[in-house]
Amino acid sequence: MSQDARVREFVSSFEALRSEVHKVIVGHDDVIASVLVGLFAGGHVLLEGAPGLGKTLLIRTLAEGLELSFSRIQFTPDLMPADVVGTNIIVEDTDGRKHFEFQQGPIFAHILLADEINRATPKTQSALLEGMQEGSATVNPIEMEGTYPLPEAQLDRFVFKARVRYPAIEELNAIIDRTTQRREVDIRRVMTGPAVLTFRDLVREVPIASRIRDLVSMIIMATHPEWEHSPEVTKKFVRYGSSPRGAQAIVLGAKVRALSQGRYNVSAEDIREMAAPALRHRLILNFEGEAEGIDTDKIVAQVLERAESLSVRDKEVFLR
Amino acid sequence: MADPAGLDRLVHRVAAEVRLRRAEYYGLRGLFWGALLAVLPLLAKSWIGAAAPVVAVGLIAAGVGAGVVLGLSLAAPRADAARLADRAFGLQDRVATALEWAARPARTPLVDALVQDAAARVESLEVRRVVQRVLPRETRLLPLPFAAVVALALLPAISLPIGRLPDFTATPEEEAARERADALQTADRSRDKPEAVKAEGLTERDFERPNASMIHAGDRPALFKDTALSGERPDFSAFMKKGDERLRLLEQVDSLPDLQSDFTQSQYQKLAQQSKALTAGLRPDQIPPEKLRELLEQMEQMGNKEANGPGQAASQGLKALEEGKQDRAVDAMNRSLNSMRQSDEQRKGALNLSGGRQGNTGRRSTESGDSKEQGTPEQEEPGTSKGLLPGNGPGGQPKGDPTSRLHAKPYDSKLEGDQGSGKKDSFETNMLGHAAQVPSRLQTGAVFDQYRKMMEDAIAREQVPRDYQPQVKDYFRALGEK
Repeated sequence: MSQDARVREFVSSFEALRSEVHKVIVGHDDVIASVLVGLFAGGHVLLEGAPGLGKTLLIRTLAEGLELSFSRIQFTPDLMPADVVGTNIIVEDTDGRKHFEFQQGPIFAHILLADEINRATPKTQSALLEGMQEGSATVNPIEMEGTYPLPEAQLDRFVFKARVRYPAIEELNAIIDRTTQRREVDIRRVMTGPAVLTFRDLVREVPIASRIRDLVSMIIMATHPEWEHSPEVTKKFVRYGSSPRGAQAIVLGAKVRALSQGRYNVSAEDIREMAAPALRHRLILNFEGEAEGIDTDKIVAQVLERAESLSVRDKEVFLR
Repeated sequence: MADPAGLDRLVHRVAAEVRLRRAEYYGLRGLFWGALLAVLPLLAKSWIGAAAPVVAVGLIAAGVGAGVVLGLSLAAPRADAARLADRAFGLQDRVATALEWAARPARTPLVDALVQDAAARVESLEVRRVVQRVLPRETRLLPLPFAAVVALALLPAISLPIGRLPDFTATPEEEAARERADALQTADRSRDKPEAVKAEGLTERDFERPNASMIHAGDRPALFKDTALSGERPDFSAFMKKGDERLRLLEQVDSLPDLQSDFTQSQYQKLAQQSKALTAGLRPDQIPPEKLRELLEQMEQMGNKEANGPGQAASQGLKALEEGKQDRAVDAMNRSLNSMRQSDEQRKGALNLSGGRQGNTGRRSTESGDSKEQGTPEQEEPGTSKGLLPGNGPGGQPKGDPTSRLHAKPYDSKLEGDQGSGKKDSFETNMLGHAAQVPSRLQTGAVFDQYRKMMEDAIAREQVPRDYQPQVKDYFRALGEK
């Protein structure tokens, strides 16, 4: 198969999967895009939003569109690690002999939806995050009592974080129409597991220019308050910047985005688009940042601006 | 394998365009600076002559040429040209990425597809200029030097001032006339100011020299005190010569005269020193009579004429000296000096200027015991004085009311509390103590950042229950606002 054909197949599959999800989910284009990019980038996606906004439905619909196994775990404080990963149970065979047999937990699935992961104890969260092969987790930011926010080290393992926002009026109208009338929705399976793995390989072949790679490095550096060229907002409100995983997430996400648009290379625009979902959960605010209620997306926007100005200043050699 | 030749052509075209724009940019700058330089030969047209306009035009042309050459010679990197092409044609970094990856030995199949895609898009582009013209800041000011050049070229030559310093050296005739005038002026000054001459001559060193009014090279104080220059006609050479001599003397720090003593010593002190120098180790008949006369005359002029005054004693001394009674003249000089000393101390006492030791010794020597009867604290016997204790003024009188502490019982610790039951020597007291009444010595501002960091760490490590975290943060925020 030629490269053109491979790329065209990726584009068509990506669009088909997106349209299947859109059959059920109204709006949330950026969230759906982040989830699909995370799927083909080979990482986990963290969805954060208030209850009832369709996080669980989105992941369930995505799983239905893929020919993959799907599991869902509703996390509660009394959930034990064995409830997630499975346990050895005593089984008696036909001869009456007893032996241990491993009973797989729900984690053994291609797509795993860990619903309200912040309600589980750190021990259970750790068991889940260590064993996750593929999947998504959701976080409910309200009703925080009795919850266990994910530690920064575990947050860093999620390739993207998508914020599920309240729908607009038009979207709300569409939701009302879709969910209060008799309507049959048929979700087609548009992609298989091996196809997903093939597309992941294809994504990693997408070339990136050294200037674009330098831009990513400068973005990551600009999230650190210790860096001399960091913007003022970083120095003032950020306690810890992004790890190198942030750079990997940006580049992989940018490659998926480029390929989904039928492009063979990463552009600066791809980097700009993927910076916020890849970095917003990796910036740890200091006390002032939390007290002021600083939105990490705003910090990322200024970080992008600074990194691009530095990149141009260093390389601009034409007239001045 | 895809051929990136089309991409190369595009990049070369963009690079050439960049060089052209640079040549324009630097050429305009060279034009401005060349025109500015061209003003100079036109200003000096009277010197250069008819070649000045040619030189001006040459400078302008040289400026433009240098700018153009600089613009064309500066390198236009291929990667930057590719990036510029991507940006100008909206190619989303295809050209830059394709050129960079096409040069790599290990090309993936997707890179070939990228090169083909980029080349196809480049082929379909319309040829247009992509590099914007950039005008230097000097362009706005360009009319000014050009207007100056044109104006100076059309106007007649400007006569320039002679470029040398004025001649300060005097001709021999002027030098001779000035010397004559100086001699006359010196003679006039000597005639007009006999007192000043005498005062000058009364320095200790002058007793050994007959001509005291003249200043010799070794007479350093006289040289520094010489103010004759101020009365003379301005003479630059003489001024420089005097100045050089003074500078040479200033380099000899060890032998500089004490000029300050003339202004800190009273006339009595100066005369006393002179008399001491005159009579030291000599009997009255061994003292040179002429010097004794000069000193007595000086005392007579300075002293008043009232009875028992220094002037009268000096007059008596002069009279005795004329009669050949030199011992009586010396006694009269000493009386005159004593009289001067008394009047000097009285004057200082009236101004309250007498120093402690000097004033006491003077009083003791003159008033001899009368002061003891007054009973002032300063004159009490050592060891009997109460001193300046708290509450006591200099005169031994209490200064204000004594503090209550002085009369307090030694066991009154002023601690609030209740005495416990039973026989105890201690109090059960709620000792707020000193710390409750004074601000903390540990400044909050100095440790606030450190404690806040510890608080953030504690919250990050989840050592603070979530329900309490807002309260903790609010507490630190309130502290920070303070």
